[in-house]
Amino acid sequence: MPELIAVRGLRKQFPNVLAVAGVDLTVNAGEVFGLLGPNGAGKTTTLEMIEGLTRPDAGEITIAGLTWERNATEIRARIGVQLQATSLYNKITPREALNLFGSYYPKRRGTEELLELVQLKDKADAYHVTLSGGQAQRLALALALVNDPDVVFLDEPTAGLDPQGRRSLWEVVRAMKGEGRTVVLTTHYMDEAEALCDRLAILDHGQILRSGTPAELIAGLGIPSVVELTFDGPAPDPADFAARLGSAVDARGDVWEIPTPDPKTMLPRLFTAIESAHLEYNQVHVRRATLEDVFLQLTGRSLRD
Amino acid sequence: MNLPNPFKLLALQFRSEWRLYARDRGAMFWTFAFPLLMLFGFGLIFRSGGPQTLTLVRVAPPRETARDVAFVKALQDSKLKVLTLTPSDAKQRWEKGETTVQLESAGDGYRLKLNSYLLAQGQVVAQAASQAFLIAQSRLNGMPEPKRIPYVIESPGHARSDNYAAFLVPGLIGLNLLSMGLFTVGMVTVSYREKGKFRRLAVTPLPKWVFLLGQILQRVTVVLVQTLLLLLAARFGFQITNQGSYLVFGALVIFGTAAFLAMGFALSSTASTVETYGAISNLAFFPMMLLSGVYFRIDGAPQWLQKAIFILPLAPFLRMLRAVFNDGGSLAGETIGLAIIVGWTIVCFAIAVKRFRWV
Repeated sequence: MPELIAVRGLRKQFPNVLAVAGVDLTVNAGEVFGLLGPNGAGKTTTLEMIEGLTRPDAGEITIAGLTWERNATEIRARIGVQLQATSLYNKITPREALNLFGSYYPKRRGTEELLELVQLKDKADAYHVTLSGGQAQRLALALALVNDPDVVFLDEPTAGLDPQGRRSLWEVVRAMKGEGRTVVLTTHYMDEAEALCDRLAILDHGQILRSGTPAELIAGLGIPSVVELTFDGPAPDPADFAARLGSAVDARGDVWEIPTPDPKTMLPRLFTAIESAHLEYNQVHVRRATLEDVFLQLTGRSLRD
Repeated sequence: MNLPNPFKLLALQFRSEWRLYARDRGAMFWTFAFPLLMLFGFGLIFRSGGPQTLTLVRVAPPRETARDVAFVKALQDSKLKVLTLTPSDAKQRWEKGETTVQLESAGDGYRLKLNSYLLAQGQVVAQAASQAFLIAQSRLNGMPEPKRIPYVIESPGHARSDNYAAFLVPGLIGLNLLSMGLFTVGMVTVSYREKGKFRRLAVTPLPKWVFLLGQILQRVTVVLVQTLLLLLAARFGFQITNQGSYLVFGALVIFGTAAFLAMGFALSSTASTVETYGAISNLAFFPMMLLSGVYFRIDGAPQWLQKAIFILPLAPFLRMLRAVFNDGGSLAGETIGLAIIVGWTIVCFAIAVKRFRWV
């Protein structure tokens, strides 16, 4: 796949924080690329520099061979952007907003088609203030598509939505990919990154810790599975048990997590250790490792912390 | 790449601004109704240059002497309304703060007591009462009455109008421009920036000047409609018409609009939140509104303050607008006033261009 976006050595210093500390990344045409990281990792700043909203202190950005210094208007005509919070006039309707924003571009998609795509047909003539959070978010997504863009940037597209709202937004993102668009999104939900992204970069403290496909990142852990032991109430201190088991045990809330490359041999050892320690526990689960585990291993912290 | 024609976009933007503006019915109603209410309210209260009857409260003496009777007659001849009350009623009225001036017997003469809260009116009443006293004495002594000096009412430009509404119309036009610049333009700019409306536009290829000019044109048309409504109300409500050239009048309104627009944009770059901007804009608005002569001239203010206020754009603007509208004058002698307005426009515009931020 041809390279569509190339970013080299991107840096941004804010008055009291180095928000982005040297980011390199490439996004290929037609893929969904995710920036995954906790709040404050520098995802939004990185994205806004690529979108031309924030001027980088250092670094180069090219989008389809164009640069912000020389081709700003042309880039703007070819990208679609959904900001973290899209603020519109209170008393504009989705239909009017799509018509108005559409008028700014050389190429535009039909308003009706977009309303259909984001399921806002029955709210097409309601004032923006009366839309629910999910509806407003879907309108923002439709506005990002109004110019039939080659690249779409989505900043935390599902933040603050209920599970149903998130699913329907995921469908819209998949539809964008199906139409051959390139999508760059930020998220702090690992399930979202896993469900949507072809490739992703894990960001923390303004730096990319690791990037690749979700499968590559998880395989890179070397521990494809995690055994979870749940307790009634807070999990006890696992240090003694870890020594008895001869394997690392992480306590998180009411769960012990025991990463393992091979659950088949781990489970008999675990039950032996449980019996000899007379451990009172509630449930045992074995699950595949996730991006959450990758982040935990890279930073020692959970994404949600 | 074929970007849309910017002038077509400007027309679309202007139309969309008006449509959204008109949806806020309450705000639109007050924008147009407020100047008219002010004109009819104050214009009717102060019809023919000031309140008609000034009241003097007189404490009834134990026995009315011939001198008392002659004095009351002379007071009434000087157009004062004399209200004679028993000492206890007079005391009650005074303590409620409703009395401006009270006339009492003191020894074998009289004494005036002036309400310190209503001193401006009180002094006028006291002057008239003193004059009436002299007349009453002359009459009692069979001497010729002291003659009053006749007076005529004339505006600074030699127009014979005693209608307060004529003074008020240019004042309200200036006030409209001031609040348009500081509140509608400045406040909206800060709020759009704070809420991120500009950010969403900044990622589109819409030229910034198209968006800004579309907004400005909408505000300017609002001001023109306000001005037109005021002129119509003055014409049909008070028989007041523009005494000067409509061309000069229109040119002045355009100059003023430019100055206050630029001021609004310049001020909007000083604040990042609507709350901060509210404080800053009030700091600019109230001194200008109160001291520039929108509703009345402040002759009592110290010289330095009057000079200082004339450096701000509203005072010279109003003086020039009144010279044209009320007195049919030209702008020939107003080089300094014009220079102040143009100067403010250039300085504010430069600040706005240099410091204006979208995000």
